[in-house]
Amino acid sequence: MKPTENVLEIRDLVKDFPGVRAVNNVSFDIKRNTIHCLVGENGAGKSTLIKILTGAYARTSGQVLLNGEEYSPHSTRDAKQKGISTLFQELNVVDQLTVEENLTLGMEDTTFGFLRHTDKINRMMSVMNDIESSIKPKQLVSNLSVAKKQIVEIAKAVAAESNIIIMDEPTAAISESEIARLFTIIKSLRDNNVTVIYISHRLDEIFELGDYVTVMRDGKHIETKPVSQIKDRSELIRMMIGKTVFEQYTPREGDCPNTILEVKQLSNHRLNDISFDIHAGEIAGFYGLVGAGKTELARAIYGVDPYEGEILFKGKKLKPSPDKAIAAGIALVPEERRSQGLFTILTIRGNVPVMNMGKISRNGFINDATERNVTLEYVDKLKIATSSIEKEAGKLSGGNQQKVVLSKCLFADADLLMLDEPTRGIDVGAKSEIYNLIRRLSREGKTIIIFSSELPEVMNICDSIYLLYDGKLKSTLRNNCDCDSEQILHIVTGGE
Amino acid sequence: MELKEVKHLRKPLMVSKISDESFITLFMLGILVIVFAIASVIVPNFYTAQNMLNLVTNNWFVIILGIGVTFVLITGNYDMSVGGNIALTGVLSVYFCQGVNVSQNALANGLGLPYPVAIGLALLCAMGVGAVNAFFIAKLKVPSIIVTLGTMMLARGAAQVITQGAQRNTSLPDAFGVLGSLGIPGTSIRLAVLVMITLIIVAYIIEKKTVFARRIYLIGANPEAARLSGINVGKYLTALYILSGLLAGITGILLASEFKAGVSSRAMGYEFDALVIALLGGVSITGGFGSVLGMFVGAIILSVVTSAATGMLLSPDWQFTLKAIVTFLAILAQRFALDKRKS
Repeated sequence: MKPTENVLEIRDLVKDFPGVRAVNNVSFDIKRNTIHCLVGENGAGKSTLIKILTGAYARTSGQVLLNGEEYSPHSTRDAKQKGISTLFQELNVVDQLTVEENLTLGMEDTTFGFLRHTDKINRMMSVMNDIESSIKPKQLVSNLSVAKKQIVEIAKAVAAESNIIIMDEPTAAISESEIARLFTIIKSLRDNNVTVIYISHRLDEIFELGDYVTVMRDGKHIETKPVSQIKDRSELIRMMIGKTVFEQYTPREGDCPNTILEVKQLSNHRLNDISFDIHAGEIAGFYGLVGAGKTELARAIYGVDPYEGEILFKGKKLKPSPDKAIAAGIALVPEERRSQGLFTILTIRGNVPVMNMGKISRNGFINDATERNVTLEYVDKLKIATSSIEKEAGKLSGGNQQKVVLSKCLFADADLLMLDEPTRGIDVGAKSEIYNLIRRLSREGKTIIIFSSELPEVMNICDSIYLLYDGKLKSTLRNNCDCDSEQILHIVTGGE
Repeated sequence: MELKEVKHLRKPLMVSKISDESFITLFMLGILVIVFAIASVIVPNFYTAQNMLNLVTNNWFVIILGIGVTFVLITGNYDMSVGGNIALTGVLSVYFCQGVNVSQNALANGLGLPYPVAIGLALLCAMGVGAVNAFFIAKLKVPSIIVTLGTMMLARGAAQVITQGAQRNTSLPDAFGVLGSLGIPGTSIRLAVLVMITLIIVAYIIEKKTVFARRIYLIGANPEAARLSGINVGKYLTALYILSGLLAGITGILLASEFKAGVSSRAMGYEFDALVIALLGGVSITGGFGSVLGMFVGAIILSVVTSAATGMLLSPDWQFTLKAIVTFLAILAQRFALDKRKS
């Protein structure tokens, strides 16, 4: 059979989730033996697309042709057998085993259940050796760096005779020199008849590595082009954000002169010397891509993770612990709603008042009527759709769960409200309700900090915007309606 | 205006059913009635007033332990140290008040402290075991099952050292036996039973009404969210383990007084009985769910089965097996009912 020119052809691919179309009629081709980059903002649909290709998700409709034949994997294992391997961000190696054992994991030759030492291991080790000779077969994987673990996974994929290897942000956690080595390996893979689908937020890497690039936005395919035909970063960035109109933001009338939060030289394992002031009454937004340090910053301010440096709130040094932060007047809506924000097995009534029990109790005894009324008040105020306040919180929809978490934090009566990805995974209607709520709170005099990886969100409601990249605060700007979104994306993707 | 809207909303929102915890307690009460009815038919002399009273009074020690164990379990942790703690406290309460140098026999010599001081110190030691648990669990984040299995053996080991592997029962002051022998004359209701009933009532009020208890549920439901909601999880775990230690200590002192002896093998396996009655009463082994009243019902179910097995003159090994089967079926039925209600 004559190999087709395109190793993968995606036709009218659609993936629906409740309330949202994550992949919307996407069609493009991936040419054989190329490095094909996939870019787009968070939520553009890249990961969903990849998960369909690797068999983790089933498509809603559309078609994928692999080597000209219908391809519809029902599991990652199935995808692997058909020649598509994936390097996820969460590496799939077993630390406690040796390199050799990892390479043969899941395809050991056995006799009556006992392992047999066969040619397979030798063959795999020679593949490993060709790629990176410094990795020894008997070495424990736990002793390898992240980059070398990736190489072990690549070797595994190559030895499995994959003709497509998908890499999801492989450079997110490795050093500069290791990146150079990884790129050499990726290029040699291409030269040895492997197609690489490469996903990264670091645009420079696209130009250094890519043969083709596909841009996605809001679940749609925007363009597929040879990288050589793209003039520069800004052209790529323009494709990524399109003509998004950042409507609705109205500049604040008057200034917010009083500083409420001062962060001085904040550093920890993920943050690097961050300093800034937040003024009372403003809505501030920290924007950055995945891994930029937004959540880490929010957690440090809230006292969840340790840090060096100093944080002053209302002029007083903040003690690093959440209960102290709440007592001082700070509340956090955490990033992970179900695991960090919500008590899923408790009722709505059990969730709403928990951050300010003093207000519903006297001498440590809860006043049931007050508790009910408070809950009802928030259900009403935030329009939480539920049949009863005795309903288990975990059974609500995503948007309503988030509203319960918001209620909880609002009831804490904080002066500074920090919201980490406040609208992640919730539908458009609930999103705009939350934006309206944030504006209303700001009018009532609350200070709000939003940590977000969605630029329209930040542009839409924030008075000032802070750009994070790689744990560093890169730039601060005032939102005056004509903020240059291209410039912003340039900065948060690592441009100077 | 806003008030009006709330009122308007209140009606549909207030059609509330009973909570899942009350549902499970009632469900287990139903099982209790069934088990009791079966036992009354099969076992001779079972359906008598005295026997019914005994069902409650004979198990006071497991129920007192069950209170601490239930609260700890609701946070998603275990306390397996309570049995060993009973033995240790009982032995210490004896040792502290035995006469000084009264005999050649080392086991007859103690510290000669007045009895009230002796039990005060013994209770402090019991809480100390709880504090050790809390230190490793809350501070060093060691899984509670490991820590408390360790302190279970450690406490019993210490009791064995003090009694040279046996017991201390001589040269005791007269006051020693008083607590264990007080009671309502003409009935099987002793001081210990009254203590148990008082503790159950207090625990019930704490559980249903206080902020303290509410936070315990929050910790069990989601420890990370609890921490981010400003709850000092370590402080609460520490308080609960010390409380559980104190309850074990009270039990140990009452038992030692009743038998006028500090026995190192006392309360073997009580930690498992306390766990079993909590689970029978619907307390979730993963935390965040359960009630003291449920635990109490669980204890009575176990008591009915034990008493019926004795009444049927079954040999001890068959008694044990029957207990196991009933407990297992009851917990299965309970989980099934809860799943059904939730879906």
